[in-house]
Amino acid sequence: MPRWLTDHGIAVVSPVLLVAGWEWASATGVLREALFPRPTTVARHLGQLVTDGTLERHTATTLVRIAWAFAVSAVLGVATGLAMGSWRRLREALDPVFAVVYPIPSVLFLPLVSFLVPAGEVAVVITTAVTSFFLVALTTMHGVRQIDPLVVEAATHYGARGWRLFTAVLLPGALPSVFTGLRLGLGYALIVVIAVEIVAAGRGLGAFLWLSWQVLKVEDMYAAFLVVAVLGAALSYGLAALRARLLPWVQDVAER
Amino acid sequence: METSPSKVVVRDVGVTFPGHGRTVVALDGISLDVAPGEFLCVVGPSGSGKSTLLRVVAGLVRPDRGQVRIAADRPGTPATAMVFQEHALLPWRTVLDNVTFGLENRGVGRAEREARAREMLAMVGLTRFARLYPHQLSGGMKQRVGIARALANDPEVLLMDEPLASLDAQTRTIMQEELLRIWATLGKTVVYVTHSLEEALLLGDRIVLLTARPGRVSQVFPVELGRPRGLEVRGSPAYGVLLEKIWSELREEVLRAMDEDRGGAGPRAAST
Repeated sequence: MPRWLTDHGIAVVSPVLLVAGWEWASATGVLREALFPRPTTVARHLGQLVTDGTLERHTATTLVRIAWAFAVSAVLGVATGLAMGSWRRLREALDPVFAVVYPIPSVLFLPLVSFLVPAGEVAVVITTAVTSFFLVALTTMHGVRQIDPLVVEAATHYGARGWRLFTAVLLPGALPSVFTGLRLGLGYALIVVIAVEIVAAGRGLGAFLWLSWQVLKVEDMYAAFLVVAVLGAALSYGLAALRARLLPWVQDVAER
Repeated sequence: METSPSKVVVRDVGVTFPGHGRTVVALDGISLDVAPGEFLCVVGPSGSGKSTLLRVVAGLVRPDRGQVRIAADRPGTPATAMVFQEHALLPWRTVLDNVTFGLENRGVGRAEREARAREMLAMVGLTRFARLYPHQLSGGMKQRVGIARALANDPEVLLMDEPLASLDAQTRTIMQEELLRIWATLGKTVVYVTHSLEEALLLGDRIVLLTARPGRVSQVFPVELGRPRGLEVRGSPAYGVLLEKIWSELREEVLRAMDEDRGGAGPRAAST
């Protein structure tokens, strides 16, 4: 048996077993097939949705929203986090604000946002970006704060001051945390955009999923489920791979 | 103040740190002279302010009183370069880029700084590891990088803060021999903080003994064991005599420091 399989075989076996069990349960009537169609049925249906372009349209809509929201929250979040991490005064000023605003479920910002900008794409994007922004900013700030003070002292001793200290020490030192924040932020952007689409949009995977449920087109619903799940996993692994590529100096937890 | 040929002059330096509700006197009126090319070792019990003294000389800690002067006659090179106890390398820079860091900050061109870095890496035996990151190196190799980083800056004075303390015994012994070789090659003035008397006797021209907190100079011992010196010096009678002599003094300070940590008058105070 190849080594990869002995090491990670369980990660393949468990989902396969789950799907097989579901197939069996739906086929034998343990689960009501009208509500829990067999995975093979869902797969066939998914094929149709892909062919007729329905899924592509909704997925594209959702992805564009996520991309915008993520871009906005990443840029503003990293900048805010770096500033808060490097500048104590700012951190002290913003900490209480963050503490109060951060735990609010993001969908609740939608009414507020809709007072500020016309309802529509911009409102959806801003609402989606809010939680990601806080996640990215807080994680980035902690990234700056957890840099070994001895490393900062050594860098200062060897002549890194001011802007140079920031670009050569604080910024690279915070990058691993920045990536963690971006990964979390991207994951939350997906969650929130689906939620916002359910309550406030006619298009997108969330809207499609919700509509499918309301009219009990369960095959559509499960197909959308699957796409959302795969999307989430792909985005998360994509960022992890990017991090490994861009930050070769970060040691794996296993190596510590 | 007298005119002296000393490389480093420390005069009446005092440092206090704000502690928990009370101030801690780390250094109390320290005066020292280090001759050009001298290898000066500083020993003392934990908390005697050895590291603080080094940081004052490095300009990383500003003394509350007194002054430090370093004779610098070559423009463009820093007065001091420090080798830190826990190596303190930048994890996101390769070995080579860590060694060039100080030069880069001073605006030395790429070709020149890399040439100098490679020269120093060759001296510490790390030529083949220039492209690795610190986390890929062993503890001893990291400390070699720390030494190369300091030397690449060609400082007037090399400061070393217990550089071998975190290494295993065998690696430490090998590094001690390497240090002697490098020092003999470059002829740098060195101020070397250690808690190991054996190390100080092997490396130093003189040994400065600091008292328990607050740190003062207790005594200065010349180490007249000849040069070049190697591990075999540990077998000589003079070594044993000197070790015994300094240890009896250091022992008193260590016991005093332990009492201090227990909040003054403990049973130890009665027994000594």
